Order: sequence, then C-alpha cells, then structure tokens
Amino acid sequence: MIDVAADLVRSFPAPIVAGVLTAAVCAALGVFVILKRVVFIGIALSETAACGIAAAWMLGLPPMAGAMAATLAAVLLLAGPFESRRIPRDAMLGIVFVATSSLALLLVSGSGFGLQEIRALLYGDLILAGWPDAALLAAVLLPCAAALALFGRPILYTFLDREAAAVLRVRPAAWEALFFLLLGAVEAAASQTAGTLLVFCHLVVPASMALMLSRRLYVVLAIAVAGAVVATVTGMAVSYRHDLPTNQTVAAVSVALLVAAALAKGLAGLLRARHRP
Amino acid sequence: MTPIILCESVCVAYGRQEVLHAVDLAIPRGILLPFVGANGSGKTTLLRAILGLIPVRHGRIVTPFHRKPPGYVPQQRVIDPFYPVSARRIIEMGLYPANGWWRRPDAAQGGRIDAILDRLGLSGHQHKTFAELSGGMRQKTLLARALATDAEVYIMDEPTSELDERSEAEVLGEFRRLVHEEGRTVLMAYHGLDHAAGLSERICRIARGRAEIVDTATARADAGEARRSPGGGS
Repeated sequence: MIDVAADLVRSFPAPIVAGVLTAAVCAALGVFVILKRVVFIGIALSETAACGIAAAWMLGLPPMAGAMAATLAAVLLLAGPFESRRIPRDAMLGIVFVATSSLALLLVSGSGFGLQEIRALLYGDLILAGWPDAALLAAVLLPCAAALALFGRPILYTFLDREAAAVLRVRPAAWEALFFLLLGAVEAAASQTAGTLLVFCHLVVPASMALMLSRRLYVVLAIAVAGAVVATVTGMAVSYRHDLPTNQTVAAVSVALLVAAALAKGLAGLLRARHRP
Repeated sequence: MTPIILCESVCVAYGRQEVLHAVDLAIPRGILLPFVGANGSGKTTLLRAILGLIPVRHGRIVTPFHRKPPGYVPQQRVIDPFYPVSARRIIEMGLYPANGWWRRPDAAQGGRIDAILDRLGLSGHQHKTFAELSGGMRQKTLLARALATDAEVYIMDEPTSELDERSEAEVLGEFRRLVHEEGRTVLMAYHGLDHAAGLSERICRIARGRAEIVDTATARADAGEARRSPGGGS
C-alpha cells in the first residue's frame, strides 16, 4: 500500500494536496458543526454551492464566483436567530437543500450533457484537481482555518451557552455569523473540487469519531484532522490501486475508520469492565 | 440611596400574552434579593428582562451593565453536557468581559479562579467535563463562572435547585459573603417564601404579573393570611 501511495503522490500531487487541505479544514470546522448540532447545514451548503456553479456555468461566469455567491446568500439566510421563529433552522435548511439540489440539475438539464458529465460539472472529482484548483483551495481554506484558530474561543462560548455569552458581551450573533460565513466559504471552494458527498463526509465523520474518542477540545480537533487526512490519503491510494471512484472511496474509508474506532472503543470498555474488581 | 437597578413601568410579553404589567422596582445596591412567586408568575422573565435577554414592550430598565456586565447563573440545563470542555474552561468564560477574544487568562486571573474553585469545593473537579460532573457540581461550575466576572451584580435563575442541603448551605453562604463582605448585589429566582425567609430581610414578590419589594416578614404574614382565608391555598 505504501508503494501505491508513493506512486499516487508522484502521479497526482495536486489532487493529494487539494484532498488533504479539504479534509483537514472541513474536519476542524466539522467539530464545531456537530457541537452546534447543525449537521444538515453541511449538505445544504454543498448543494447550494453546486447550484451556484450551475448558475455561473449558464451565465458564463467563473464557477467559483457562482459557488461563493450562492453559498454566502444561503449563509445570510440561515445565520439569523431562529430561536423565536415558527420555522426552525432545520426546516429552513431542508427547504434550501431541496430548492438548490433540484434547481442545480434543472439549470444544466438543457445543456445536452449526459448525467455523468453533469455530475462531474456540479459535484467535482478529487482525482481531476489540478494545481490551479489546489491553489484556489489554499487561498480560501487556509485563511478560513486561521480565522477559526484565532476566533475559536468566542465561537465556542457562543455555541456552549448563547445566553450567557450575550450577557458577557461575547456578541454571539456576530460570532455565529462569522462561523457560518467561514463554513460557507470553505464549502463553496471545496465542493467544486472534492464534491458534495466528500465535503459533507469530512464535516461529519472525522469529527464524530474524534468526539467519540476524546473529551478534550484540542485533542478532538487533532483526532478529527488526522483522521480526515489519513482517510483521504488511504482512500485515494485504494481508489488508484483498484480503479474506483475517488470521492466515494475516500468517504467509504472515512466511515470504515469511524466504525473501527467505535469497535476499538467498545472493546476497550469491555476489557476495562472485565478487569474492574 | 441611588438604586443599582431601576425598572419603570416595565411590561414584558410573549406574543400577545403579557407576562409582566407595569412593574416598578428600585433595587438598592448591596442587597441579597430573592425573587419569589408561583411557577409561571414571571420571576425568570423579570430577571431575563433585567439582563437584557428579552425586550421590554413598554417602560425601561436602567442597569449598570454597560459599565460592567453582571455575573449570570442560568439553569444548568442550558449547557450541553457533551461539549468537550473542562469545568475550568467553562469558568474562564467569565473572564471574557475583561480579556476579550484575544487575551488568555493571566496569572492573577488564574489565581482568582483557583480561589473560587477552592471556595466552592471544585478544585478536584476542574479538569472534568460537564458530563462528568454531578448536578450539584454543574450548578457550582456555573456559579463559579459568574463569580469569575467579578461583577457588581449577580443574577441567578434557581441557583440552588440541583444542590443537596450541604451544598445549598455552602452556596448561600457564598452569596451572603458577596453581599455583606464585598457589597455586591445578588438577585435570584428562588423556590419558596419559607426558604427565602432565612436568607434575606426583603424579597421581590411576584404575582399576577406585578412585582414589589417587601419585607420578608410581611410577605410571610400575607401568605399565611391568604392560606387561612376561604378559598386560600393549603
């Protein structure tokens, strides 16, 4: 497998860089997404980005511009306070998901492309990423990761106890909006290259594994990022070796890691219980 | 003496339902003031309006919170116990008004938190997460976070509801120390007039959407009379 990975790095360096960047940043953001309990926002924003790409393609604009504009519009719609509204945020996320995923396909359905081409256009394929894609990802994702590291504390306080945060002048609405903007920007940039499924996978699966394994935030973040990166490199190597679709293989390896971690944790718990006097 | 908090003709409503009607209160500085009333009488609503967490429909509330935010103890159910943060990290949240988003706690602030942990018997539990703490320890963690703000005014929503007798006595002792030794003001939603009687000479009595500060003895006499009158409580 190491030979395969080395061969993969030599043959596809740009997809590896793009994949590792996407995995690491999405996994770190994913920890906060799960803590905030807004997991569905991951898939809704990915579909919104795809819809933006389709609209940009129709209008002859750069796909990234369309993805960013659509995602940021959705973020503005979803970032507001939903606590006192009759329609909860989850329902609004569902509406955005249904509207954008159907609109994306409707926009490009008259293009004459086949289904596979439409899927590649809207949802990307990691193995096809070039250096310009990797550079674009780095330009968007690295500043977002830096902002998350810098502002992690007030964002955490906002998610932990919104009312106390308001009393303590944390300005929860502003930090929540910033978090969703970061998430929107990352999803818009990553969805075009890595695809909706893989971005959603990196947001949810490694963070779930990390939260299952540790109760310390920094350890959780480290496990999530490491797990996502390992799943990406391993998944890409498996897909290269066995000629499998890259995005789906990486997602499957990520889920396999989660299942393995759950089994290991369960086994460790059983062994501890057996050795307890 | 100038009141530290002033409510003038305050009305608060949820939708069309008015919960507080024209409340006038002048809360003096350096007092321990239990807010006492039946369930749904509006104790928590009034405290939340004073905190600025819910808007008032009419009237105004004057507080010193623009200078220094209050120490706030919510009911512990607001915290998701599965957050991967330690009790100490939760307590350090109380330093936010002093430190903002950029500054880490310095040695003096760390020492102050150590002292609070010690007073509340939390020192041995500071590295546990909320999920690993008992109900009483969680309540004390939220109290410690409020104390870390070093506020002029502390506002607490049923701060002893999850505590056993011994812990309740410790916490109430801490409130008395805040008021009598440090001159702070403590407002708290509290679960009964009889309990409040041993705590403070005055209470804020809330009933039928109105609030007034009365002597505890008077409130107890009124309550006794109401119970004895035909159709009164048991």
